[in-house]
Amino acid sequence: MSASARVLDEIRRTRRPMRFLGASGQLGYGIPTQAFEAGLARKPDLIGCDMGSIDIGPTYLGKGEMATAPAATRRDLRKALLGARSIDVPLVIGSAGSAGAAPHLEATLAIIRDIARTEGLHFRLGVLRADMSRDMLRASVRAGAVIGIDDMPALTEQDVTDAAHIVGQMGMGPFRRALAEGVDVLVAGRACDTAIFASLPTMLGFQLGLSVHMAKIIECASLCCVPGGRDSILATLDEDGFELESMAPQRKATPVSVAAHSLYEQADPYTVYEPEGRLDLSGANYTAVDERRCRVTGAAWQDSTNPCVKIEGALRIGERAVLLAGAADPRFIAHQREILPAVAEVVRELVCEDTPEDYTLRFRVYGVDGVRMAAPVGEAQPGEVFIMGECIAPTAERAAEVVRTLKQYLLHHGYPGRLSTAGNLAFPFTPPEVSLGPAYRFNVYHLLHTADPDGLFPLEIEAL
Amino acid sequence: MKLADIAQVIRSKNAGPRRLTLDLMFATDSDYQRVTQSPALSRANIAALYAQSIEDVTVIPYPVGRAIKIVLARPIMAGDPGDRDVYGAQQHAPLLGLEI
Repeated sequence: MSASARVLDEIRRTRRPMRFLGASGQLGYGIPTQAFEAGLARKPDLIGCDMGSIDIGPTYLGKGEMATAPAATRRDLRKALLGARSIDVPLVIGSAGSAGAAPHLEATLAIIRDIARTEGLHFRLGVLRADMSRDMLRASVRAGAVIGIDDMPALTEQDVTDAAHIVGQMGMGPFRRALAEGVDVLVAGRACDTAIFASLPTMLGFQLGLSVHMAKIIECASLCCVPGGRDSILATLDEDGFELESMAPQRKATPVSVAAHSLYEQADPYTVYEPEGRLDLSGANYTAVDERRCRVTGAAWQDSTNPCVKIEGALRIGERAVLLAGAADPRFIAHQREILPAVAEVVRELVCEDTPEDYTLRFRVYGVDGVRMAAPVGEAQPGEVFIMGECIAPTAERAAEVVRTLKQYLLHHGYPGRLSTAGNLAFPFTPPEVSLGPAYRFNVYHLLHTADPDGLFPLEIEAL
Repeated sequence: MKLADIAQVIRSKNAGPRRLTLDLMFATDSDYQRVTQSPALSRANIAALYAQSIEDVTVIPYPVGRAIKIVLARPIMAGDPGDRDVYGAQQHAPLLGLEI
């Protein structure tokens, strides 16, 4: 009998409260062993790990690469697999490989298969794919079924065709299908983090509002505690609420710390939108069980009448190369706002002598306006600045040509009042020009309205 | 008194790649009340501080977490060419010196 079938059967018979172990909020950045083992000792009914996010930007999705290091990813996957198999409970992993498209999922599965082989593990592996069919998306664009999120421009059929990868964020339906089929380990491509934990209890009649609220908190492991951290967290869900307890003794889940977690990365602390509906936290209550455990009740759920799936896509926009350099001459720093565009013009004249202007060149001056989206004017001048010149061009060779030319002419540019005639820049190392590979941007960040969202995410089951 | 001297947490982060969310959290109910009642956190003030139009600014009090949430439109989508802060985690600095 598979782990998911066993747990479903046991809870149907006993109607007891369920325990969930939020093992990691970002698999591949380390699962603290002590807290994870303390969690295993509490015999959870499901172990869940989130593995991805849109926060990391468009390049991982576009390139099909993981953000985490392969060795660290393998270490975490091994720990989670061995732990879940040792107590025979489902291990559920969402947004595999950082961005959850086919190459990310395949890379994650390859590591899992290799661990199974090395460790002599045998289990039923469920795989949920999140890549969206381009034909379906183009038809949906034509039918007006795709809407931009947060004022994103309207999606075009060209956007759909040009994107390197497009994924949909699956909700609870596909997870439930896999858990009902019977799996020991379930690995999903791009997925809602809540679906990792909320799918199983809501198959058993636990309240949707409470299950999704619990899931939203524990998918970040012990981040909801004071002090917050990566250690595993245990949630115990019953018919009226759930209780949170970090598996690291120094981390306390307090009513204020747990309530405040609803703010994290959300535009609205009272509402969470999911593909199947809306989580309403306006009636949520947080009470202390003791110094380090918090009980949460009162979350409500509203089913959606218009189901939709969030879709994300990344478009390759060229090749990126950067110049990295510092400066400490007060006159150079005082004049950098004129110097940088003047040198960019010199570069343009040189590299466009026989080639069209087919690149972009931007500067960030750290110490002045490299970080803030709206830096105030009239701040005191810094003693040093760091300058990054960033070129995006059609080829890596062209981007390198632009930043190498930039390096030379910025180094030797003459400006009024210049004293340092041997060079304007300090290079921390040479070469100071770095080729960073392809550059991407999100060209799809939309809602896809569809009558059958769950049908977009096929399930495969593999016996290892 | 400056906001940085009253708040326990002043942080920023993306809420999706097109929105920036700033959270202010307080250690006591009286600190929270004092700041929510201050005109410093009016939408107009925040809009001026971040060079945004007032329509793009939302301020949400969240008493159960002793917190205030501010939501802004990102001028550049996360990861687009010209972005300065892909995670949006360093856009809180303009709030630190606000006089309450």
